[in-house]
Amino acid sequence: MIFFNAKAKNKVKESTQTKRVIAFSLHRKNAWLLWLCQCLNIAVIALELSTWLLAIISVLLAWQAFLLHNNKKQASIKAVHQNHQLRKHLDNQLQNQQNQQNKPFTTHVSSILLTVFAVLGCIVIAIKANQVGILASMVHLLCFSYVLKAFELKNRRDFYQLFLLGLFVLASALIFRQNLTSSLITLALLIINLAVLLQLFTPVRSFFTHIKVIIMLLAQSVLLAVVLFLVFPRLSPLWQVPLTQSAETGLSDRVKPGDIANLSRSSALAFRADFGQQAVPPYSQLYWRAMVLENFDGKQWTRNKLTAKNKRVLAVNSIDTSVTALSYQITVEPSFQRYLFTLAPAISDQENKTVISHDDYTVSSEKTITQAKSYQLTSYLSAPLTFALSKENRLANLYYPQGSNPKLEQLALQLQHNYPNVQARAQAVLARINTQSFSYTLQPPLLINNSLDQFFFETQAGFCVHYASAFTFIMRASGIPARLVTGYLGGEYNGTNNILGSTGQWSSQGHLSIYQYDAHAWSEIWVAGKGWLRIDPTSAVDPQRINSGWSRQLLQEQSLLNQELFSLYQLKNIAWLNTLRLQFDALDYQWTRWVIGFTRKQQTDVFKRWFGHRASWKTALILTLSLLVSVAIMLFSIDFFNRPKRATVPLKKWQLWYQKALTLLANYGLEKPAAMTVTDFTQQVQAHYPRLAIAFSRLSASYNRLCYQSLSTSEQAELLLVMQQQYHDFVHLVKSDNHKAS
Amino acid sequence: MATKKHFLLPTVISTFIDKHVEAWLSKRLPKSDEHQLNSANIIIYPTRFGLSYVAFVILVFVLGTNYQNNIILLLSYLLASLFMSVMLHSFYNLSQLRCYSQAKQQGYADDVLYFVINITTKKTHYDINAQFSDGTLNSTVEKIAQCHQGSHLIKIPYKSSTRGKHYLGRVSVFSEYSLGIFKSKAMLDFGHYAIIYPKPKYVNYQQYSLSAPLNEASYEHCQTVATLGTDDFFELKPFVKGESRARTAWKQMAKGQGHYSKHYQANQPTLTWLSLDSMPGNNVETKLAYLSFLITELTANNQSFGLVLGTETGDETLTITPNVGVLHQQDCLTALALYQ
Repeated sequence: MIFFNAKAKNKVKESTQTKRVIAFSLHRKNAWLLWLCQCLNIAVIALELSTWLLAIISVLLAWQAFLLHNNKKQASIKAVHQNHQLRKHLDNQLQNQQNQQNKPFTTHVSSILLTVFAVLGCIVIAIKANQVGILASMVHLLCFSYVLKAFELKNRRDFYQLFLLGLFVLASALIFRQNLTSSLITLALLIINLAVLLQLFTPVRSFFTHIKVIIMLLAQSVLLAVVLFLVFPRLSPLWQVPLTQSAETGLSDRVKPGDIANLSRSSALAFRADFGQQAVPPYSQLYWRAMVLENFDGKQWTRNKLTAKNKRVLAVNSIDTSVTALSYQITVEPSFQRYLFTLAPAISDQENKTVISHDDYTVSSEKTITQAKSYQLTSYLSAPLTFALSKENRLANLYYPQGSNPKLEQLALQLQHNYPNVQARAQAVLARINTQSFSYTLQPPLLINNSLDQFFFETQAGFCVHYASAFTFIMRASGIPARLVTGYLGGEYNGTNNILGSTGQWSSQGHLSIYQYDAHAWSEIWVAGKGWLRIDPTSAVDPQRINSGWSRQLLQEQSLLNQELFSLYQLKNIAWLNTLRLQFDALDYQWTRWVIGFTRKQQTDVFKRWFGHRASWKTALILTLSLLVSVAIMLFSIDFFNRPKRATVPLKKWQLWYQKALTLLANYGLEKPAAMTVTDFTQQVQAHYPRLAIAFSRLSASYNRLCYQSLSTSEQAELLLVMQQQYHDFVHLVKSDNHKAS
Repeated sequence: MATKKHFLLPTVISTFIDKHVEAWLSKRLPKSDEHQLNSANIIIYPTRFGLSYVAFVILVFVLGTNYQNNIILLLSYLLASLFMSVMLHSFYNLSQLRCYSQAKQQGYADDVLYFVINITTKKTHYDINAQFSDGTLNSTVEKIAQCHQGSHLIKIPYKSSTRGKHYLGRVSVFSEYSLGIFKSKAMLDFGHYAIIYPKPKYVNYQQYSLSAPLNEASYEHCQTVATLGTDDFFELKPFVKGESRARTAWKQMAKGQGHYSKHYQANQPTLTWLSLDSMPGNNVETKLAYLSFLITELTANNQSFGLVLGTETGDETLTITPNVGVLHQQDCLTALALYQ
């Protein structure tokens, strides 16, 4: 036992006041569990905390662990001394030890030290607030107070406060991450937190039982929670809240050669596309367009602010809608950026005002994407991109800093001379890349000053951006308007039956997962009369990348570079792990789609689907009814679980016969009270129904013998046979008696 | 720690409320030796922590709404429905308990009396607490952490320094299982009362008998008290099987008069009367304290005595005929406790 407050305890003894103060104490096991629980709670949100705060928190937690450990040691020393019964000079010593034992906990509650510490922490957090952002500093403050609070567990109220703070830490961790994994982790931690609370009330049981009880409690609560989730009206934000300022993930709007190679080390999910029942286009068609980079300053590509701002208003008209349409839904993971993905050319769902289409066939979100977001698109893959090219645009797409890459410029001029046809000129460059010893690698040699000359003529090894940059540069230098497009290529199809049926139709449902390592860059050139054409120079160096994805060699390279515990390469190599991964991915997709993405619109849709169009009062009625029904179900289920269990020992044969005989007699109007003995009842039968008496008394005698006499098995079997005969005789007698009577 | 909420109400109103609540309670939960806890006598209310829990759930809901975060909303819904199911579990943890307790307990002033509540359960219950609901009694909370199927005893201590008959009111049996969010409580009326005897005060009865006033009657009675002696032969009785052979009256047996055994009796007064008036001191309470001591001593010595209570002026006199034994002692002490 650890007494967190010896003072309070003494007070109880001394005081005769009406106010009762119960000394709050935690079992040692419980104290350690609380500590562990705190560590886990902090671990969930650790990624959002600054390193300096993490350091402080870990020091505090270690200090607490030290105190707990010390306390145990001193308690055991004390016990040993008591065992030895060294009473003489130990009185003093014992007292000292008691003081010592209280000492760690008086430092625990030493409010001055604690206050100083808290104030210092707050000051540091306030100073750093500008740097980390409002939300992050609030989270910092929360975690800091959560850890500090554990040092002053004076009474049960403090424990409760600590518990609620812990739950709030869990809830705020969900602001940053909502995918299935983190939700499950949060649920697990919720269970542990509740179990620690439960342990306060039933310290006798083991922690495992507590976990079981909490799981049962939560299982009983799930139904109501789900119903609430479905029917409880979604409110719009009550007030403005600070948004997360997490690091942007995914593509950047300024690209240098070599940038995307870094991205490809990550196997994090970028977005998912769901084509429903439609056939998924071949891999080489899946050019997910994210950004168009038109400005080149000799080192890096950036977006043209003007084109990026222009909204495409009449998108539908500009596309020849006679070509086959492909509609699909995209669910993006939070990237803390605004661009979205599309298979150009595409038009977005007209209703969805949060998705903006741009002139360059990209789409973007109205707001920064801080949590998973879904949108619907319809693409016309075979339709050409716009034919028109304004003078400004033309100039912008022809611009390159003169003399930045003289060798390439020279090559461009040479090509311009040799191939007057624009497309032939492009093909020539591709052919050159294909025939020369270019290689496709995640670890390209470093280029001095991002020189494209050096890449194209010396190192000849690079990733997609190298090739796309060089290609676009050559095109511009040779007088063809060209631009760099970044996005993702391909994706991993995750569906159970993704094989084409014999009829060539898709009968399956699955989705395409696009990961960060699918990031890609390609070029577009403008050809008069054909509009913008997509040219992917990567196809010239590594055709497999374009047609089916990463080659084995690339995967190996990635697994070497990847710092993650399970690299993709390893996962893909072990078959069962890979199936598991795919199944989890499918689950996560459903979670993202139905739980994270369950918007107010979907809520009303669900209502419409289930109940049709209804007046609002009817909706309210349904709402209350469904809540009531689920509460009632919960009540019954809990009632069922809590009913005292009756042991249901199956009745023996002879007991059954006797019971049946009794029911027969009951039909006659003679019931055997439960308290009456068998022999007494026989006498009663004799008195009332003398005709049946003999048969019944035989039966009763056998019954009594079987019940109360210790018989050997053979005797028992014999007697059973006899009793069976007696039973049949009795039934026969009763029947014939009935017959006579009727 | 679920402390009772202290509303700051004028005493007039609070006593009015108390009175009506008591009337309502006594109608709803009548006095009985045995109570079966069920929905009729259990009340459930959220503790202070429960209220903060609700506030916390609302806070999480607002957080989820403001961030338009479905998972946080889901968490808040889950916590809200947990509130509901914990309420039901809290009820089921207390219901179906069978409580039995004797109404009366007796003892000396300043001694701790234990009111034993026998709790019978059909399944395992947790965190069962009991105390007198009357706050002025200042009784401690007695706790059973885990009640397995079967019988359990809860002993609620009671201590009083004034003699008399004290009604202790209801016993509240309560539990905050499972998460401390709810307190389910039953206010059971076992009709508990305590008979508190006067605290014995030492008096040397040798000395006392000498100094006793020479009141004719009392002197006679008291005189015998002083002549305590060793055991003397008292009578012969026919031998009964099982009696010690050492007691056999061999003389009579040798004479052929039959098998008799000798019986001894402490040389004690055959009639001793204790009376309030004969006690030293002016204060009635002191006199009662002396009497309490004497009654206890005499019973311990297995002496027969009677008790006369009543003042010289008072016309009502309570007399208990001389007798021996514990029951007699209880009668006498009760008479002292209830003496007006």
